[in-house]
Amino acid sequence: MKLKITRDALVPFASVLVALAIGAILIAAQGHSPVQTYHVLIVRGFESTAGLQATLSKAGILIMSGLAITVGLRAGLFNIGAQGQVLSGALAATYIGYRIHGLPMYIHIPVALAFGALCGALVGGFAGLLKATRGVHEVISTIMLNSIMAAIVDYLTQNQFRLKSQPNTRTPDMLHSARLPHIFGYPTGFVLAVLLAIFVSWVFKKTTTGFELETVGRNRSAAWYAGISVKKSIVLGMLLSGAIAGLTGGLFSSETTGYFVPTFYGGIGFDGITIALLGRANPIAIIPGAILIGGMRSAQSAIQFEAGVSPDLINLLLALVLFFATAPFLAKLIRSNSKSITTTSGWGS
Amino acid sequence: MKKSLVAGATAVALAVLGFAAPASMAATNDDSKCGTAGVTCIGVVTDIGHVTDKSFNQAAWEGAQAGAKAVGGIANYIESNAATDTEYGNNIDLFAAKHYNVIVTVGFLEANATVAAAAKYPDIKFIGVDQFLDTTKTTPNLAGLNWHEDQAGFIVGYLAGYLTKTGKTGAVVGMNIPPVYRYAAGFQNGVAYAAKELKKKYPVTKIIYHPAADNAFSDPAFGASNSAQLLSQGYDVIFAAGGGTGNGGLARIAKAKGKFCIGVDVDQWNTVPEAQACLVTSAEKLIGAGVTDLVKSYKAGTFAGGNVYGKVGFAPYHALSSKVPAAVQAKVAAVAKKILAGSLSTGVK
Amino acid sequence: MQRVFGSINIKSWKFLLTAAVLIVWIYCYVANGDVTNSVVASGMRFGMPLALASMVGIMCERSGIVNIGIEGTMLLSGFTGFYVASYTKNIIIGLIIAILTGMLTSFVHALMTIQWQMDQIIAGTIINILASGLTSFLYKEGSTVPNTWPIFDIPILSRIPFIGHAFFSQQGPIQYFGLILIPAIWVLIYKTRWGLRTRSVGENPGSADTAGISVIKVRMINVVLGGAIGGLVGGFICLELVGSFSKEFTAGAGFTALALMIFGRWNPMGAFAAAILFGLAQALSTQLQIFGVNNIPNQFITLLPYVFTILVLVFSAGKVRPPAAEGKVYKKEEA
Repeated sequence: MKLKITRDALVPFASVLVALAIGAILIAAQGHSPVQTYHVLIVRGFESTAGLQATLSKAGILIMSGLAITVGLRAGLFNIGAQGQVLSGALAATYIGYRIHGLPMYIHIPVALAFGALCGALVGGFAGLLKATRGVHEVISTIMLNSIMAAIVDYLTQNQFRLKSQPNTRTPDMLHSARLPHIFGYPTGFVLAVLLAIFVSWVFKKTTTGFELETVGRNRSAAWYAGISVKKSIVLGMLLSGAIAGLTGGLFSSETTGYFVPTFYGGIGFDGITIALLGRANPIAIIPGAILIGGMRSAQSAIQFEAGVSPDLINLLLALVLFFATAPFLAKLIRSNSKSITTTSGWGS
Repeated sequence: MKKSLVAGATAVALAVLGFAAPASMAATNDDSKCGTAGVTCIGVVTDIGHVTDKSFNQAAWEGAQAGAKAVGGIANYIESNAATDTEYGNNIDLFAAKHYNVIVTVGFLEANATVAAAAKYPDIKFIGVDQFLDTTKTTPNLAGLNWHEDQAGFIVGYLAGYLTKTGKTGAVVGMNIPPVYRYAAGFQNGVAYAAKELKKKYPVTKIIYHPAADNAFSDPAFGASNSAQLLSQGYDVIFAAGGGTGNGGLARIAKAKGKFCIGVDVDQWNTVPEAQACLVTSAEKLIGAGVTDLVKSYKAGTFAGGNVYGKVGFAPYHALSSKVPAAVQAKVAAVAKKILAGSLSTGVK
Repeated sequence: MQRVFGSINIKSWKFLLTAAVLIVWIYCYVANGDVTNSVVASGMRFGMPLALASMVGIMCERSGIVNIGIEGTMLLSGFTGFYVASYTKNIIIGLIIAILTGMLTSFVHALMTIQWQMDQIIAGTIINILASGLTSFLYKEGSTVPNTWPIFDIPILSRIPFIGHAFFSQQGPIQYFGLILIPAIWVLIYKTRWGLRTRSVGENPGSADTAGISVIKVRMINVVLGGAIGGLVGGFICLELVGSFSKEFTAGAGFTALALMIFGRWNPMGAFAAAILFGLAQALSTQLQIFGVNNIPNQFITLLPYVFTILVLVFSAGKVRPPAAEGKVYKKEEA
């Protein structure tokens, strides 16, 4: 349960370059131009205003879901099933967003998001409780809870929460007062996410709670000897992780879609794992990774339309980046002293 | 030494993969002249999934190509990579920026993005495939293309009612969403209609839905296992409808002797050849033809917004024609005629 | 022996559960034999891919390596197996390629975790993401295989009353093979020298090393063998259950398999039983739909297996004890 964080930013940077180089070989092998493809990627993902706005919007969500996983990892918990918490948070926030009328924006948005976070926390916290009291490993319980939440959310969206005038399963639109505003077209969610990252970083650096969580994450028996309640920390860790995951769902509803359809949220929880690992479970370090991935994702369609390359290239690039960023040979080549990171060591309770 | 060997091997393996990779679909058609008078450009924005999915996206893309050919224009597509309004909206924007004349969006998930885009670009005609519009809120440049799936379901259900020896019929289908429900409920009523004609009492047709999940339409193991469960309890005609989930069912039923299976959407005789032993017909909806007709109406200047219904039907019996008595074939043809003409109601709301 | 089967209170819990399942089964069989056979057989069909997938986890973890890349292993091997079968028009070659792909994928996992001493969870995640990226990037629709493995009854065995129809009838060859393979893995782990070495490496690599066992070799071989099983499952789903490859067809099955492995306490027979129970819950939820139970919403019937798994874990409680050295990098003390 050790968590060593490298200060060497060169390795992730180099791994992006290597991944892009391999990507270029694949693109050329398919008879397309790598130069043009990467040009489109840069223009559509980062250079054009619309592209940058889309990128930051996606990056905000990715930072949040990455934070959810990060908080867990720091406390020695692998919240692999954050998806269920994202879903429940999203539906809860959407519900508050369309159901409660007459609130001013500065109250409606926080209430909706808070309710989303609460529901996410309940699901995550339940998994934490199962682990603390009955020794049920969170990898199992959260995966089972994913399916359970998917079914419950589907039931609610098809019945109580359904917009009856539409034949398709969806909720009514959130009221304008519950929609996160954009500032000059730029998403506010991104700012929230960065603030949250700073806050999480502060919690782990400066607060007793953060210290206790991390100690439990590092070495459970040492924490026990130090008088820290391991059970409390486990529940708290999952509560926090779930709350952030729920908040991610709520933010997504409030900022991008404005209504709830279960399929909108596919993969958010899973992406969080990649982001957290790329950022080596460091709340601040996950931000550049999230922006990079957000940019790649928002340029995905343009790559196909303007360069003719399969959009699935992006997923492959991501896997390669993660591979080279964590495998040691690149680090050795650069002669960096960065040590490989350790997340969690197995299933023991 | 060892490590450089490994790295070298990895690079070689990746290069080989690259060359073995299928050249991605034909480079995009030249659309530089779009926007000039007399040039018709048609853009297709797929739902998540490729234009070669043997299903919805492919059919719509083929319809658009046929339409382009008929009016002497060009067609291009963009495959969506995330099921969100933002993603769909961005993809529509890519076409709009190049002055495309007709934009086809595929699948009900794109409904909201399409409605918004139609309002944003009043000069472009939009075709929303499988999107039922609330016409009080949509602009006249948007047509929602729908089908009476219950009619196709009813026809094949009627056939099933005549084919079953045990009187037990079932449907193994994807997630409970409106088009799937209409297929299944139509099938159920079709069987009941045949039973009434035969003056027999059949147990109600069993409908087994896949639980709500991301893989609801791509879970062949679910389709196969549930079909087998029905088969072993004497169910002898099974409607397996729902992408990969249904295909799993078809493949499993084909292995049992003397049972019938019925496919969906397109003539699955061609798309799932391993099911030929049992595939008596498929409930079809002519997606491509619907798109082509609307494209033609654009060129003719008769494009009308609002909800439009495309044609449905049932696929030929192929080699299993010998297993369907001539008298039954005649009856099915007669009922199909009545259903399609609207003189016989399917009883599905 | 006692340690293998767990402590006394676990044993009594297991005994109670087994007895309860048996009683319900016999009762149902007497009440309606055909439906009961059909549900049990269906439970087997649902459970077998999961049971085999959990064997991958057991092989790896017994030797001390966590493998959450089962998902990716199955995905990649299903992919190559299907396309090779489609290209060569031969499903036997396809299956062999699937198994080889599984071994190769696991070899990469072994390389990352054992050779490069990377974090095992991260290594598994990389395998999953890489598999998903590669298979969807290279994916091409429109291929078909000439046929899939046939289904048949096993002579004599299928006529045994009570269990014959449920276990030995109307299944495909890989499904039946699983019935042999899983006990074989149990024997391998608990009754052979190799198994003893594997377990000692997984529990205490230091003393195993002192005793002259090559920790790295034992782990490498176990992980690659596990990969072979993962490849078999990929081929099983794509070439026996259905003759096609669909993107992300695994849809979390690899993770469910890990849950079942822990549920079964790293014991092959235990994981098998857990998988069958899980499969039975699925078959039961289908059966409720067949029976036309309409007053419970369909969504709640379908979540039965998941609730059931959590409940069983909650009540079985006790200490779930994984192999002691699992997940830890082993560094040989250099002289």
